[in-house]
Amino acid sequence: MKKIAALVGIIAVAGFASVAQATDLDPRYQAYKPTSGVSGSLKSIGSDTLNNVMTLWAEDFRKVYPSVQIEIEGKGSSTAPPALIAGTSQFGPMSRPMKAAEADAFEAKFGYKPTAVRVAVDTLAVFVNKDNPLQCLSLTQLDAVFSKTLISGAPASIVTWGQLGLTGEFADKPISLFGRNSASGTYGYFKEVALSGGDYKDTVKEQPGSSAVVQGIAADKYAMGYSGIGYKTADVRPIAVAGRDGKCVEPTQATAYAGTYPITRFIYMYLNKNPSEALSPLQTEFLKFVLSRDGQADIAKDGYFPMPFIFAGEDLSLVGAN
Amino acid sequence: MADVAQSGSGTTDLAEAQTTFRRSHGSDLAARGEPFLWGMGGALAFGMTMIVGFVAMVLYFGLTTFWPKPIEVVTLMDGKVIAGEPLRQERYRPTADQLAAENETVRQAIAADLGFATRTLYHLGNYDFYGDDFRWVPDFQAKQTERPAGLVLVERQEWGAFIGHISAITVKGSKIEGDALTPEVLAAAHVEARARRERLHDIENGRIADVNHEMEALRLQARRAVLDYGTGTPGQIAAQAEVDRRTAELQAGYTTLAAEAQIIKAEEAANTVTFREIGGATKVYPLSAIVRYFESNDLGLGGSLAVYGARWWEYLTAEPREANTEGGVAPAIFGTVVMTLVMSLLVAPFGVITALYLREYAKQGRIVSIVRISVNNLAGVPSIVYGVFGLGFFAYILGGSIDALFFPERLPSPTFGTGGLLWSALTLALLTVPVVIVATEEALSAVPRSMREGSLACGASKWQTIRYIVLPRAAPGIMTGLILAMARGAGEVAPLMLVGVVKLAPQLPFDLNWPFAHLERSFMHLGFHIFDVGFQSRNSEAGRPMVFVTTLVLIVIVLLLNVSAIAIRNRLKRRFQGSQF
Repeated sequence: MKKIAALVGIIAVAGFASVAQATDLDPRYQAYKPTSGVSGSLKSIGSDTLNNVMTLWAEDFRKVYPSVQIEIEGKGSSTAPPALIAGTSQFGPMSRPMKAAEADAFEAKFGYKPTAVRVAVDTLAVFVNKDNPLQCLSLTQLDAVFSKTLISGAPASIVTWGQLGLTGEFADKPISLFGRNSASGTYGYFKEVALSGGDYKDTVKEQPGSSAVVQGIAADKYAMGYSGIGYKTADVRPIAVAGRDGKCVEPTQATAYAGTYPITRFIYMYLNKNPSEALSPLQTEFLKFVLSRDGQADIAKDGYFPMPFIFAGEDLSLVGAN
Repeated sequence: MADVAQSGSGTTDLAEAQTTFRRSHGSDLAARGEPFLWGMGGALAFGMTMIVGFVAMVLYFGLTTFWPKPIEVVTLMDGKVIAGEPLRQERYRPTADQLAAENETVRQAIAADLGFATRTLYHLGNYDFYGDDFRWVPDFQAKQTERPAGLVLVERQEWGAFIGHISAITVKGSKIEGDALTPEVLAAAHVEARARRERLHDIENGRIADVNHEMEALRLQARRAVLDYGTGTPGQIAAQAEVDRRTAELQAGYTTLAAEAQIIKAEEAANTVTFREIGGATKVYPLSAIVRYFESNDLGLGGSLAVYGARWWEYLTAEPREANTEGGVAPAIFGTVVMTLVMSLLVAPFGVITALYLREYAKQGRIVSIVRISVNNLAGVPSIVYGVFGLGFFAYILGGSIDALFFPERLPSPTFGTGGLLWSALTLALLTVPVVIVATEEALSAVPRSMREGSLACGASKWQTIRYIVLPRAAPGIMTGLILAMARGAGEVAPLMLVGVVKLAPQLPFDLNWPFAHLERSFMHLGFHIFDVGFQSRNSEAGRPMVFVTTLVLIVIVLLLNVSAIAIRNRLKRRFQGSQF
């Protein structure tokens, strides 16, 4: 067993030297075709994880339709539903699906459910410092590290690196935990999947942005935290995570698409679409743009994985934009 | 004169006191004030060190970020070759696993170094090639490090920097590569491509944007007619017909412009550049995607200075791109300055009038004391609370009513009913008004009583006295309050995040479309830009130096605003210097 662990270590160190692959984009995605007469203003309020992608989309969309005004506010996924309900925004980007209560509040006002369009695939990575030799954790171990409720059935809370099997200088060092603030969809999703809905430990340092989580881990050798794979820098390293079947899976595009990496999610764009009416041309064109080659290239540029092509077609027909 | 005499007598007193103390033997050290002097000196030195250290750090990182760095080509032990800018080095202790993967010589060398090794962080760029743009390389893994000539760093419109070679370009469909691709040919093609992009930008963001703006105005006009007259009434039908006629005209204009843009785009597509990274992989981009390129290792001092200057110029004057991590911060600078000026315009009259009433007219008593205490306490309310108030009261209640009254045709998209420059300025005015009130009251009370009495004795009314005697002499003090308010307001971010600052504002609050000033628009702010780039951008490694640059720019702007205010104050002071009794 020890030998295998050492072997895995060697392979990983060799992998450390190899160059990561750029994200692949399905060649079936077509370039966006502009139409005439699109103007007006759009406001998007929602996820801060999607803030950068929204900005990239806005920049590129305005290259096609220069008079379109797009304003972007990203304070967390939880700010999207109230803004959609109040009518202050046309798009609500969210890094998690809407909760039943949020969707009900929307329905109570408009009489129909909000429409969700899946725009990207995000993989939540568990990061450790670049000097940390840890290779793999199971979801149960993650629960024992991050939560105080231990719903997944871990025997005891894990507080030191030694409890995760590390030796040497790490053995007796406490794990310094970094996470997101509670308005974030990343916070909610990690809680749901890794913690089985349990509560975070009070020692988790809640950060205002995904990038702040990574910076925290970069500066602290004994730190662990979760954030989107797109925020990876040279100072941190994503570790493999084992799902319920116990197999360690690296967070990559292939494993995310195959669904074998357990903490993979869709990123959504919520909007208010009356089922009996067509969407405004501006909104339709924006969604078409997002799910075109140009829009999905922006996704890759910001470190997420593009939507699998089949889903993109499905969701476009959902809003009548196909 | 009086001042000099006073301080002179003070010194004599002190000298006498000291002789007295020296005579009495068991005198306590504390009584002579020495420990306090040391304490005060120490506190001052500590404070100064902190400030100087902070400013020095911001200056160092802010000023060095844009200086071109050399490109190193590293041949790794496993034969791979990477090229990148070395950013920083650090000593670290390789873990047992890492050591196990190395050979005996390396292990011994590290053991001889007490278990430490050195590694270097390289900026590789080429995010579109590798999916990764920074990389740590341990020194023991580098077989050879050199700085060869001919490697190019390309700053691109998209995907960040490219480091490698420009292997070929296509000009008007014909490929130029190898020896034919001289620096002159490349430069000429690049200049032409940039000019083409400039023309395209001009058509799309200038002329097409104007057409679209007018079309939007017409659409609103039609909607307004529906609201005013009701659907189907003669007035509405006439208005609709007029709108349709104008729209058709504009549409025709748009078609011509769009065709023009399309031609330029086709030209762009025929002019491409091929990048070849150090490992041999290639990618083709439009030639106009190159912002600038240079051979880092053969720049020399003059070349480096030129690149440095060009980067600063771009930073200060261009719009941001790539989700604010590259390009410039011109809209944010503009937003910060305009917001601060509008805030000063709002806060000055409010603060001065309040202070005048409190000091000159109100009967000094319990109520005035309570008002004063309240004002002073306002200064201690957390700024985010002002933000919540601004959002709730200004944006939602005030702005919502304005929208319902004056802009019903635009609903449900809010005009004033959401955060904007005006609401931000008002919120910050509220935040800084205590400073102005307190400073103005101090200034008013510093005007000698004899001057007021003289004026009143000459038959001037109370208001005339205030207007012509008191206010001019208090003006420098009032300006001081305003300067403090501006400094506070320009650096405040938390409340602004709620009432109008956005990550990307598509339009400036001032432009050439009537009514020129659009105070309802959201805007960009340097303070928020710092927060955003520092904590929200994908690549925190690339974002960090930009945080320092933006901080430097913000500090310089606040400094400039203050210096101009101080200059005005000094002019005001000079006016009365000759007229002292």
